[in-house]
Amino acid sequence: MIEDKNWLKIENVTKLYGYGLLGLKKFKALDNISLNIDLGKPRIAVIAGETGSGKTTLLRIIMGVVKPDIGKVLYKGYDIHKLKGSASKWYRKEVQPIFQDPYEAFNPLRRIDTYFYDTTRNICGIKNRNEAIYRIDEALRFVGLSLDRISGKYPHEFSGGELQRISIARALLTSPRILLADEPVSMLDATLRVGILNILKDLKEKLNMIIIYVTHDLSTAYYIGDDISIIYRGTLVEHGPISKVYQEPRHPYTNALLNSILEPDPSLREKYPAIKPSSLELKEFLIMGCRYANRCPRAKEICWHTLPPYVDVDGVSVRCWKYLDYKIDYSS
Amino acid sequence: MSLDILTVNNLDGGYEVFIGNRRVFVHAVDDVSLTLHDNEVLGVAGESGCGKSTLAKMVYGGIIPPLVVRSGSISLVTRGGEVLEMNKLDIDTIRRKIWWIEISYIPQNSMNVLNPLKRIKDQFIGVFKYHNIEMDKNEIIKYLKDTLTTLSLPPEVINAYPHQLSGGMRQRVVIALSLLFNPRIVLADEPTTAVDVVTQRVILSLLKEWRENNKSSFILISHDMSVHAYMDNRIAIMYAGNIVELGNTFDVFREPLHPYTKALIESLIRKGDKSIRKGLAGQPPDLINPPPGCRFHPRCPYAINICRAKEPPTTSLDKDRYVRCWLYANPR
Repeated sequence: MIEDKNWLKIENVTKLYGYGLLGLKKFKALDNISLNIDLGKPRIAVIAGETGSGKTTLLRIIMGVVKPDIGKVLYKGYDIHKLKGSASKWYRKEVQPIFQDPYEAFNPLRRIDTYFYDTTRNICGIKNRNEAIYRIDEALRFVGLSLDRISGKYPHEFSGGELQRISIARALLTSPRILLADEPVSMLDATLRVGILNILKDLKEKLNMIIIYVTHDLSTAYYIGDDISIIYRGTLVEHGPISKVYQEPRHPYTNALLNSILEPDPSLREKYPAIKPSSLELKEFLIMGCRYANRCPRAKEICWHTLPPYVDVDGVSVRCWKYLDYKIDYSS
Repeated sequence: MSLDILTVNNLDGGYEVFIGNRRVFVHAVDDVSLTLHDNEVLGVAGESGCGKSTLAKMVYGGIIPPLVVRSGSISLVTRGGEVLEMNKLDIDTIRRKIWWIEISYIPQNSMNVLNPLKRIKDQFIGVFKYHNIEMDKNEIIKYLKDTLTTLSLPPEVINAYPHQLSGGMRQRVVIALSLLFNPRIVLADEPTTAVDVVTQRVILSLLKEWRENNKSSFILISHDMSVHAYMDNRIAIMYAGNIVELGNTFDVFREPLHPYTKALIESLIRKGDKSIRKGLAGQPPDLINPPPGCRFHPRCPYAINICRAKEPPTTSLDKDRYVRCWLYANPR
């Protein structure tokens, strides 16, 4: 138990979703995902993948709003899906989300400041109004706003960048340990994007927070991330420190993903490798072996029917048969 | 030299809306001049709400209230060499003679524009009927299959309903639909915003290949600068309804001149870059009541007195390089 005190442990999480006419047939939207995050070390952990890879489902499971079918999430030793009453309130205080679309995150008919007062009263349990105001102003100042600027206003009076700052400030009120950020900048313009990313960086450095940053945008991931987990069709294919993964992507999928990023530099135009369009998603989810077998240029017989185990290659954990073959060849 | 197939002169317009009894004019396109050469990609970049899509609608001739054009002209040179004043034609002529055949439009959010109750092939056949193209049904199907194969879609999709296809495939179907009659000009409004990085690369490279084979011209509207870096020959940067800079893509990326373009290029995050970047403070102006003088002056670090009082003229620097800024207005 003492060991568990300082970890967020995601243990063998599997989530099944139905498909077909009545949703009776099931496929694994997440397949046996395990991740450990040390709560003692402030860091930005990136979860990256394409649309339909299951990254948002994973985040929702960590948030506690979706229950995994198999496996559990342990926060400081407690199974978060079994918390009740005040314990579940405690977990909400420790882990706060920010969402993708700032325009949709707020009720358009409700004043922005009421969200702040509600959070301080209901989750932080602060009854004294002056103390609440002090806390709210402090949180807003951290993101470059102030209570005077937002009080009495409605969501439409703010720009997307400001609304996203407001969501971050609201999450900060409870002084959480972990911030779950689901594509927080994908709806924003390039000039505002950097501002939000810099705030996330500040949160890590100044408030020692842990941020789980879910994205499909690998350039912003590298800009702020410390380590990265790449998810493909529900399986974790590669996990390691971000600089190592970017320098030398081990898994063929990571390699394809990194090479397909378009860069804002016209001189690189001719250098992108050719790319194969993805086929039907569902078919790939149902492959018994490596989900990437269908698109992988070096897929072999074994890839189709058996999921490879995790292999530690130079500090990065990779799920690919390529490395196992390599080891066997080497020893023989 | 290359031929100008589309010329937009001092186009000015916006949305006329009534709030209660008060008439409000949202000045979304302010004095825009552009030329589109034969066989080129002209990019239009800018933040959300800067008038990019409004400009596209005006060029396309889809002027339906509340959108109004106050002044300016759009002239189109047809395949037969005829010069047409687009904004003097009535909507029915535009629909039958120009849309699909001369100019075609790939709408924003194009994966959701297909009729969910019709099979893909029926949606295509409707287009043939509308344009009075006499063709045998079998011939149409064969033609369709060919068109779909050029976008690497399996020919079976013609019998599918839209919900049976993934987002990326639907998007490619809509693109195929727009390119059906080999139009000379394609207006692509954010063709890849709603899809992830890998699908984006696939779609863009298919569009690129199609354009090179057919020697068509594209007007590509996107807020994503990496898309412009990958596709464009020339790029126009829009800010709050004005085109602030226009030039060869390589020149604009290498040496941005307008302060807004500078900030935009500097705020871009490149893969494998962790150096701290600064975003642009402030937010785009309200188009109902734009600031006097240059619309960028409240956010501009180089603003001088004249910027606050008078609108800057469009200054031509080199061949095909235009800047709308007082800093360049009087070349010494």
